Amino acid sequence: MLVTVKNLSKTYKKHIAVQPMSFSIGKGRCIALLGPNGAGKTTTLQMLAGLLVPTTGEIEFAGNMDKDHRTQIGFLPQHPSFFNWMSAAEFLQFAGELSHVPKKQLARRIEETLAFVRLEDVKNKKIGGFSGGMKQRLGLAQALLHEPELLILDEPVSALDPAGRRDILELMKQLKSHMTILFSTHILHDAEQVCEDILMLKDGNLIWNGTLAELKQENGALAIKLQTKEPIEGVLEQLDIIEEVEYVDVFTAKVLMRNLADSNELVQTLLQHGRTLIHFEWLQDSLEDAYMKVMGK
Amino acid sequence: MRNFIILFRKEMKEGARSGKWVWLPIVLMVIGISQPLTNFYMPQILEMAGNLPEGAVIEIPMPSGEEVLIGTLSQYGTIGTLLFVLAMMNVISHERQTGALAFVMMRPVSAFQYMASKYVAQLCILLISLAASYILTWYYTNILFDHVAWTLMLASLAVYSLWIVFLVAVTLFVGTLLRSSGGIAGVSVVFLSVISLLTTLLPKYMEWSPGNLRAEASNILLEGEWGSSATLVSLSTLALSVLFLGLAVYMFKKFERFGE
Repeated sequence: MLVTVKNLSKTYKKHIAVQPMSFSIGKGRCIALLGPNGAGKTTTLQMLAGLLVPTTGEIEFAGNMDKDHRTQIGFLPQHPSFFNWMSAAEFLQFAGELSHVPKKQLARRIEETLAFVRLEDVKNKKIGGFSGGMKQRLGLAQALLHEPELLILDEPVSALDPAGRRDILELMKQLKSHMTILFSTHILHDAEQVCEDILMLKDGNLIWNGTLAELKQENGALAIKLQTKEPIEGVLEQLDIIEEVEYVDVFTAKVLMRNLADSNELVQTLLQHGRTLIHFEWLQDSLEDAYMKVMGK
Repeated sequence: MRNFIILFRKEMKEGARSGKWVWLPIVLMVIGISQPLTNFYMPQILEMAGNLPEGAVIEIPMPSGEEVLIGTLSQYGTIGTLLFVLAMMNVISHERQTGALAFVMMRPVSAFQYMASKYVAQLCILLISLAASYILTWYYTNILFDHVAWTLMLASLAVYSLWIVFLVAVTLFVGTLLRSSGGIAGVSVVFLSVISLLTTLLPKYMEWSPGNLRAEASNILLEGEWGSSATLVSLSTLALSVLFLGLAVYMFKKFERFGE
């Protein structure tokens, strides 16, 4: 485990932003923090990044007894706001020096990260003139600069246009192989694309902690879409392995099954009744369905 | 220490890019040299603007060079103080409001390093501007009036500089309490004025007050020597500055959020 969080909570005067929660982050994993607006995602991430002092609880990094973990973390805030009078290269130089990257290494790292986020061409331009997508990419560059063990990204793609979003997601996919990534989002599709673990927050409570696969398995029902050459009606009702049937049209049906292993029996029955199968598809339940189920609990 | 130097360099660069290194010395120089110039040309100015009857004779005793410098210090005390506060009301609140502060504090930087870099950098800009303005004024005073020894000039500048040391500490501290720059400037200026006012109203109880610094600096110019009260005022001013700076660091540590 790279990070172990015990009993972490945050209270502002009367308002409880984050209820005591415990979880751990495995090395090399990519974790998505999901939840509606105001669920406490940003507060949680800021506490992990060392920007906010928790009301209770501990954050432990493996192999670091020190209380200050900031050298091991790269953080991208939700609305990155830079020193607009600096150029991109100057800002990275400043950030790298503050993170104590050795001088020789720093020059190389700045070139590398600028190339990685594709900002080499504008490295000497003032940040003040950057677009939202460029700022987000520069934010990612500064988070990567000191090669942190844990990369924390707060809503990295929410404010971007589709192209910018794809850019950042592609970069995250490349980073996954050699870094632990924790990022918050409310766009479920993005979470599904890049991460394998899911943390879900609701009203400051941690209501789900596990892998994406488990989440889908536990909270998603299995559906099969069938299409036959002859009208399909009349066959499926007889089977008790089927929980529910929904007819899309005369030839097509969506079948909800109790157990996926019975799908062969389903096909056999159809064939026995003289139906010609022209389409058979397992409908993966989307993350959205699972999300809604967990949130609704 | 290393972080302090990095942050200090950044402050210096920001001061240069934002033009503070240009406008602040220029405005202060104008304020400074206007004192000997208006003193010297006062009869002519009155003649031009006064609509005096034909044949009126204006006789204004020529002030001594020391008196002109004292007048300059008084200018610094009023317009100068206001200008200094306005020049640095933003230094923390701006970074806090935009969220740029998060980019500093997400790295291993302590509150003390951050605050000290702000303090020393602002002090540098203000003191160098003040010194430039005062030395230029002294130069004009020497040309237009009688000669003032450079030792006296430097001694009075040194004592008066302590007022800036105090002012920067107060303004930084207020900057950690409030978020809006207008509020920061208002509270700082009111606080500094109240200190000066109380010093004149209750001289008996306010011997330690930094508000006495200008009087002490004037005293050095007039008497030509360092009084014992100057030592007390200097020490108490330094102590108060350290106290305010400590309070600023303490308040900064309690910031809940560094962005938004």
